[in-house]
Amino acid sequence: MKILVLNCGSSSIKYQLFSMTDASDWNVIAKGGVEKVGLKGSFLKHQKENGDKITFEGEIIDHKTGIDYILGVMLSEKHGCIKDLSEIDAVGHRVVHGGETFSSSVFINNEVIDKLEEMVSLAPLHNPPNLKGIYAIQQLMPDVPQVGVFDTAFHQSMPDYAYMYAIPYSLYKKYGIRRYGFHGTSHRFVSKRACDILGVNYNTQKIISCHLGNGASVAAIKDGNSVDTSMGFTPLEGLIMGTRSGDLDPGVITYLMDKEMIGTRSASVLLNKHSGMLGVTGISSDSREIYEAAESGHELSQLGIRMYDYRIKKYIGSYAAAMGGVDILIFTGGIGENEKRTRAGVCRDLEFLGIELDQEVNDKTRGEEIVISSPNSKVKVMVVPTNEELVIAQDTKTIVEELSNK
Amino acid sequence: MADLRTEPIEPYALSNKVKVKTLFSRIGVIGCGLEAQGIARIASWYGMEVVLVARDQEKLDMALDGISKELNKRIQSWGLTPSEKRAIMGRIKGSLECTAVVDCDFVIEAIPANKDTGHRDLNERKRIFRDVEKVVSDEAIIATNATTIVITELASELKKRDRTVSLHFFVSSPEAKIIEVVKGLYTSDKVYERVCKFVELINRDVIPVMESAGIVSMRLYVALLNEACYTLMEGVATMSDIDKTMEIGLGMRFGPFKSADFIGLEKIVIWMENLYEEFGQQKYKPAPLMKRLVRAKRLGVHTKAGFYKYDDEGNIIAEDFLSGKIE
Repeated sequence: MKILVLNCGSSSIKYQLFSMTDASDWNVIAKGGVEKVGLKGSFLKHQKENGDKITFEGEIIDHKTGIDYILGVMLSEKHGCIKDLSEIDAVGHRVVHGGETFSSSVFINNEVIDKLEEMVSLAPLHNPPNLKGIYAIQQLMPDVPQVGVFDTAFHQSMPDYAYMYAIPYSLYKKYGIRRYGFHGTSHRFVSKRACDILGVNYNTQKIISCHLGNGASVAAIKDGNSVDTSMGFTPLEGLIMGTRSGDLDPGVITYLMDKEMIGTRSASVLLNKHSGMLGVTGISSDSREIYEAAESGHELSQLGIRMYDYRIKKYIGSYAAAMGGVDILIFTGGIGENEKRTRAGVCRDLEFLGIELDQEVNDKTRGEEIVISSPNSKVKVMVVPTNEELVIAQDTKTIVEELSNK
Repeated sequence: MADLRTEPIEPYALSNKVKVKTLFSRIGVIGCGLEAQGIARIASWYGMEVVLVARDQEKLDMALDGISKELNKRIQSWGLTPSEKRAIMGRIKGSLECTAVVDCDFVIEAIPANKDTGHRDLNERKRIFRDVEKVVSDEAIIATNATTIVITELASELKKRDRTVSLHFFVSSPEAKIIEVVKGLYTSDKVYERVCKFVELINRDVIPVMESAGIVSMRLYVALLNEACYTLMEGVATMSDIDKTMEIGLGMRFGPFKSADFIGLEKIVIWMENLYEEFGQQKYKPAPLMKRLVRAKRLGVHTKAGFYKYDDEGNIIAEDFLSGKIE
């Protein structure tokens, strides 16, 4: 079965073509991305199964044209990997916001599209391009089933006392203001994968999963369900991120808007783009550069690192309390997978919780599936590289097969 | 081993459809004053490539520097990041030749008014319209940024007259999210619709207006300013209190005097004389106070004195130095 996975951003399209026999037997036969959709200098970067890379340059005016070219390249004699479009059995889309309507991946029909259109106000930057991708496939491959996989879906199992904000209830009713959480596909994948590796039952474990990348979030997963996560109504809540502040006294925002005489747009840019590690260190949002500066004595970088680790540690402590314990602690995402210093900093002094790192293993670990806690550690600490595209492909396969068996 | 090659993408189109060109991927702006700078900055902010054409290198450098400074202000007030600024500046290419707009599908003439006369040279604008038409494609739209009756006259210089339109960007408040779009006698519906699309792309609303002197904004504004001058001269209230009343009481972002200093008194006086000539009504005749300030070369923020006094950064340093002792 061949499944095309699409991730449409505001001016980009990422794609992977999977060939799958079953959930664990798969390979990627082509992948790549379109950049600068609708802008001057747009291009398509395509990578073949053998690793060869080709860049195609030319005008790509919208998402539909971009997807048209992606399919064209995959069909071409010179660079292609399929002979006919009908070889693609299904298309899976990453959809950022599924609101309260979607608690799992869904087969996309007109009713689903209508619901997604209604949800645009919740994710005005992300959902419209996701929808453009869906419409493009409808037009270009009208007979191919499409599946939507949501960033928010996994966290729909959160209990109400975890997802509600203590503001007037009428505002929840009026605007849907509550915590939704994001990175759900990643948290779901790594938590499940960790249990597979350890050979334990996913439905009996208390897991804390730290997705630390450009955006970052922690999730508490109990008995196979997300029971809390650090991102909320928007991806701005929770951990300190590259350029996002994470948790902040809301009073600071109104105070700053008043003092700096700025409106909502600038306030949003301030908290989303000027803040986080970049704002504190003044150096960069990139953890490698920050560590480099810290090691050469840059004090604000050292402070930034202490703040970053401390915030994660607080969430681990509170989620252990929320679940009544923790069995597995997972690090994933660019920083979680590759940065031993962050993992060591976060786990320091957590022995009382049963978290004990094997420093030697941790020091050696970069981007591989591995247990990094010491043999005596009560909590298994692990690095599990995430693979959101694979989850989308797997979900798509499952849903499409269920449908054809009906 | 990975092999990095580059190919054109067009042969890989799946559906052999008619090739559609990206609308407004590149626009041309002719001029280098505040208006031109504002238009270039806004278009580039929204991802368009901009060709900015100036008369000489010094003016071009000043214009680019002006845009850069304006963007710095946005960074300081947290509305923009330095890397976004680099991208915006990177999309603006300066040139000294009108022919540089060759690839643009939309060209806006926005040459500044002469500092001494306050007039925008009509012959120069006609020449620009003709020169632009020589190099751009048949579909390209040619526009002027104006509040005066001029677009039909400029259009008549062209071979393809239906491609013209007149816009009005609000210079005194460049972030105002509206643009007056004027349909001239020749403007075709298709061109007008495409310009509305452009306005939408730069995140503004269209105010459709007919070709009329001062259109809506200036016609109403100059009447207000005139009345404000008389109110001041009659000693009813101080200048800063009149501004404050209009700002706080009536919700204007800037009161009439502050706005006038920002726009430039020499320009306003010309507009008013145009309106007076057009409609023949006394209310458009510039108040003596305004004419006196213009004669004294106190033209506004750009000369560091107009109704108010300003420092180099354009901050008000003397508020009521006019009131009570008009020389």
